[in-house]
Amino acid sequence: MNITKKAQQVLTGSFSLEDALPTTMPSYVNSVAYLWGATIICSLVILFISGPLLALFGPDWYHFSSIGRFVNSVHFWGTQVFFASMLLHLVTKFFMGAWRDNRRLTWMLGVLTFLVAIPTALTGILSQTNWDSQWVAVQAKDALNAVGVGSFFNTMNTGQMLLVHVAVLPAIILVLGLAHVVFVRKEGPVKPYDSQTA
Amino acid sequence: MNRKFDAYTSGIPQKPYDLLKEALIVLGVIALVTLLLAAVFSSPDFPTVTAKDVAVNQPVAYVETCANILAGNSGIQDYGPPYSANTENAQRLFGIAPANWFGVTVPIDPPTDFILKPLGSVAVLEPALNDSLSAWEAATPDQRQSWTAAYLTAVQTATVQGNAIQLLPGDYGPVPTMMDAMLSLGQAGLLEGALQESDRLPFTLDFTKSLLFFQDDVYSGVADKLNLSGNQWGMSNETGNYPGAWWTWPVVFLYQIPAITNSANADMIVMGIVALAVLVLLFLPFIPFFNRLPRYLGVHRIIWRDWYKKQ
Repeated sequence: MNITKKAQQVLTGSFSLEDALPTTMPSYVNSVAYLWGATIICSLVILFISGPLLALFGPDWYHFSSIGRFVNSVHFWGTQVFFASMLLHLVTKFFMGAWRDNRRLTWMLGVLTFLVAIPTALTGILSQTNWDSQWVAVQAKDALNAVGVGSFFNTMNTGQMLLVHVAVLPAIILVLGLAHVVFVRKEGPVKPYDSQTA
Repeated sequence: MNRKFDAYTSGIPQKPYDLLKEALIVLGVIALVTLLLAAVFSSPDFPTVTAKDVAVNQPVAYVETCANILAGNSGIQDYGPPYSANTENAQRLFGIAPANWFGVTVPIDPPTDFILKPLGSVAVLEPALNDSLSAWEAATPDQRQSWTAAYLTAVQTATVQGNAIQLLPGDYGPVPTMMDAMLSLGQAGLLEGALQESDRLPFTLDFTKSLLFFQDDVYSGVADKLNLSGNQWGMSNETGNYPGAWWTWPVVFLYQIPAITNSANADMIVMGIVALAVLVLLFLPFIPFFNRLPRYLGVHRIIWRDWYKKQ
């Protein structure tokens, strides 16, 4: 099998530019429920701008300078908006039965992205280097130790937590999120229950 | 859209759509909302609690913590993996104890790592401390236990004079000298540095020992005052009037159930329930009844109300 040819077929044959950037939509796509996927991506953009600034300028900057504190606050509220959007997206897609008509993988990729976002937020709190980091580090360790994860994921190892927060988990979120969006665009929005198409 | 989707939506009217315009509008709104929230409400940033804070403001509580660690009463003393080898304390669910699977990966001997090593590193500056450490090393376990027990009793009625702890006369062996040295170390702001002693100096990225040192009474006391304890939904709160990590509410809720939280295996029970819930959520499209639940619940009729009106 020629893997490159197969890849070309997959990329060109099943995912057109119109799929990626559609200019028409079925008329049933007319609800605020379709908005939350976009707000997830946009809040992620805010996080991916404010996060590297925090990493570049470091803890003294974001704790003790007014501009640093502001960027830290943008990252904090960006996280709140991100999770609120994730929750609204998850709940509305559940009520829409969005996994119907062969969209199961899309649902699973979305759930996996949500699940990876939770430890990403945890490692963010642990990387703040303030009292919340101190307290959450010693509190979270017991549950992680109980399930064996604490043996290689030490909440009190700040170097490890910071690297996981700024590199490992965001990369996983990007890959899973991108795959989810590709499937969303490729499959298109699911039809309403009991649609009469004529 | 592609031919497959065109066939899927055959007969359904299409409407013009501008994805990039919508994306730019949403990005603008989200950026504005986030910047406004940040400007108006700032973010939680309660300062760290240092050994110096405790040593200066609560010297008796500080030396009591140190003496308890020396006596082997630290919460980490018999914790088991990943800190120590005693596996009998590991939490279990259906007899399974994953905590023991990977062994001791973060070895910590609290009396040695938290007290004797930091004191040893400053003993070069304090000959009397060297003598006390030698006396401690030479003593039998029973003798050490007797000294620390007497000290821990006496410290309950101790007074502070200047920077020294004043105890009633008693047989405490070298413990008062050692504890006074620990207090000096803390008040000088040098304890965390002494605890971070490692083979990788001058680099250190791992603050396990510094964080575990005060985790028992001191951190818990601070957390209680800030409404951050476990029974106060602690993990999902942040300091101040901020939303915190509310996405952990389902997990933290389980810790508020007495039948779970009073169990010796509370964390394993909570993690077991969480794992089950995650599997249900992940495989929802494949689970009979659950995968048809949205149709019965009928909320889709509100979401697609415009569409159903035209049907």
